[in-house]
Formats: sequence, C-alpha cells, structure tokens
Amino acid sequence: MSDHAAQLIGMALAIGIGAVGPGAGIGVIFGAAIEAMGRNPEAEGLVRTYMFLGFALTEALFIFGLVFGLLIGFGIL
Amino acid sequence: MRNRILTVLGVLVVIGAIMYFLGIRMTKDDLHISAAAEPLLCIGGTLNSSGELCASGVPFTNSVLMTILVDLILVGVAFGVGQNMKLVPRGFQNMVEFLVEFFYDFARGVDKKNVAKFFALPMTILFFFLFGNMLALVPGVGSIGVCRAEAAVAESAAAKPESAAAKPESAAAKPEEPILVQRFPAYCGKGNLFIPWLRAPAADLNVTFAFALVAVFMVEFWGFQALGIGYLGKFFINPFGKQGAIMTFVGILELFSEIMRIVAFAFRIFGNIFGGEVVLAVMTFLFAYLLPVPFYGLEVFVAFIQAVIFAVLTVVFAGLAVQAHGDDHEDHGHTTNGAVAH
Repeated sequence: MSDHAAQLIGMALAIGIGAVGPGAGIGVIFGAAIEAMGRNPEAEGLVRTYMFLGFALTEALFIFGLVFGLLIGFGIL
Repeated sequence: MRNRILTVLGVLVVIGAIMYFLGIRMTKDDLHISAAAEPLLCIGGTLNSSGELCASGVPFTNSVLMTILVDLILVGVAFGVGQNMKLVPRGFQNMVEFLVEFFYDFARGVDKKNVAKFFALPMTILFFFLFGNMLALVPGVGSIGVCRAEAAVAESAAAKPESAAAKPESAAAKPEEPILVQRFPAYCGKGNLFIPWLRAPAADLNVTFAFALVAVFMVEFWGFQALGIGYLGKFFINPFGKQGAIMTFVGILELFSEIMRIVAFAFRIFGNIFGGEVVLAVMTFLFAYLLPVPFYGLEVFVAFIQAVIFAVLTVVFAGLAVQAHGDDHEDHGHTTNGAVAH
C-alpha cells in the first residue's frame, strides 16, 4: 500500500468512525429536548439554551475527528 | 413569492451548470488548504524555500492582521458607546447593552453570587470570537490576497534536468484543464502559492490556544482566590481519610481533566472554524454555483454558537472552581448552594 492510499484510508476512518458516537449523542440530545419541550412548553427557552450547549459540546468530538482527518489527508501530520 | 424564489434559484442553477461546463470553475490545483496561518512578512527574517513559513525572524501572519483589525473594531465600538452613555439607551448603545445583558442573565443563572467578579473575561472572549468569526465570513476575507512564487518547485525542477526536460513536453502535449479561469487576472497560476490577506483568528491554533490558556489560568486563579490553599483539596484527597481511596483516584482524574480543558478549549473552536472553512472551500471546488450557500448558513450558526460556547464554558468552570467542595466544607457548601438556588 502506498503512503497516499494509507493517508486516504486514515482520513476516511477518522471522519467516518468519528461521526458515529456524536451522531448518536446529538440524536439523544435533541430527542430529550423535544420531549422536555412537549412536556413543559413554558421552559422552552431554557431547554433550547441547554440543548444547543450540549449539541455544541457533542459536536466538538466529531470536529476533532474531522480536523485530524483533514490534517492526515492533506499530509500535514 | 415562493414561485419567484424557485424561478430565480432554477435560473441560477442553469447558469451555473453552463459556466461549469464552459470551464469557469475551480480545479484541484486551486484547492489549497493550510492548517497554519501563512506569514505575510517575516519581521527581521526571510521566508523559507517553499514560501509557506518563516525560515527566521518573527512571522507576521494574516491571522495576526485580522486579530488586530477585530481588536481595533471592538475598542472603537467600546469607546464610541462609552463616550456618551445615556440612562435610557437608544440605537447602537441599546444593541450593545442587549448583547451584554443577554449574556449577563445567562451567567447569573450559572452562578449568581460570583458572576460580577468573573464576568469581564467571558464577555471579552464572546465579543472577540463573535466578531472575529462573523468578519471571517465576509466575502473576500479568505479569498483576496497575494500570489507568491513557490521557490521550491522551481528549484527542484532545476536540480533534476530530466524532469525539467520532460516538463515542457508534457505541458505542450496536454494543455491544462481549466482554460477560461486562467485568463482571469485573479488567477494565481500553477506553482504559485496563494496567501490571503486576512484569515479568521479562530482558524489559527495559536490564537485559540492563547485564549484557552488565559481562560483556564484565570479559572484556577479564581479558585485559589476563593478557597485559598484549600482549592488543592479538590485534587489531592487523602486516601485514608473519610472520603476513601476511590475519591483519591477521582481527584487525580479531576486534575488531569483540568489540564485537558486547555486542549479541549483550543481545539473545539479551532476545529469548528477551520473545519467550516475547509468545508466551504471543498464545496466551492465541487460546484461553485449555489452549492456553498446552505453550508454558508451553517457556518454563520457555528460562528455564533462556538463563541457562545467558549464564553459559557468559562463561566461554568469558574463557577465550579469557586464552590467549596471538601469534606470539612460539605455542610457549608450545601447551604450556600441552597441559598443560590432559591
């Protein structure tokens, strides 16, 4: 296997596997937030704030994978 | 109204497709992504052979230029608003006060007692990254710059005579793919490096790392200020004491996570902003007409939310650090918590 092929495989794995966990996590966060909003519509503003906070924290994990995938793919690392 | 929007979109897509097949498009050579900020000039030094980094001297990067620009705008706005403050705010002062108040209310929800002490730093971070990320999305920020000859390419071609001899042959036999784009004056050409004048501050790891260091250092500082030397009791717990050996292990984990916070802070915003720029660049390279628009909207959202996240996490960590949390402080801590909650 050439170096470039290994790089591309590494990049694809980093982004692909890195998307699995945060994908499930973001689903849980939004599902729970919608449930909470449906149960208690007055708290919608508060729930939305914490929903986006949790969303951003979870998404950051995928972003780590994305950045390192790009760094590997473009041969910087 | 809806039909009109759809018509305009359809016409744009058709025009885009025609221009794409005419050859007015980005090619793989145009896709140049640099994870590090490129130096515009090296103060008291020279560029290295590839023209991408400084061989010696202090690099003055495009990210630094953008940081100075954002700082000037922020200081200007602050002075402009602060010079003639009115008790009943109107216009621009109203807008700035709305931003500050919105975040102040949120921070008060996290820690009501100490918020006035550590509110200035998170608000500064929020303003800086909000303006920096938003200004970085203005068209022309990452796309207007200078072309710099890639010296290493020419040197290596000269060093190997057989490749130098083979190059004009292949170039003559196979004309380069995009024909029309190369006639534009803005086109850099093959073998040249494109250096944009401006680059988002958060797309440079140095900037985000500096902010992360400052934020985490101040959080620890407030912790020591509030609890004295007892702040260390959160991390170093006597294994034979009341709390047990497991809490000792937890304390060491806490200490480790305290250090990892710097890395997480720095990489979170760097990754989001830099990754967003890469996504926009790749989408432009795939199909430059109309395809990047939804991603552009996503980037506006990310630019806002990441600035807020950095500031909110600073507030949350500071609020956690100043709370007493030891075994001899336990009852005391609960009463203060209860007082905060009601």
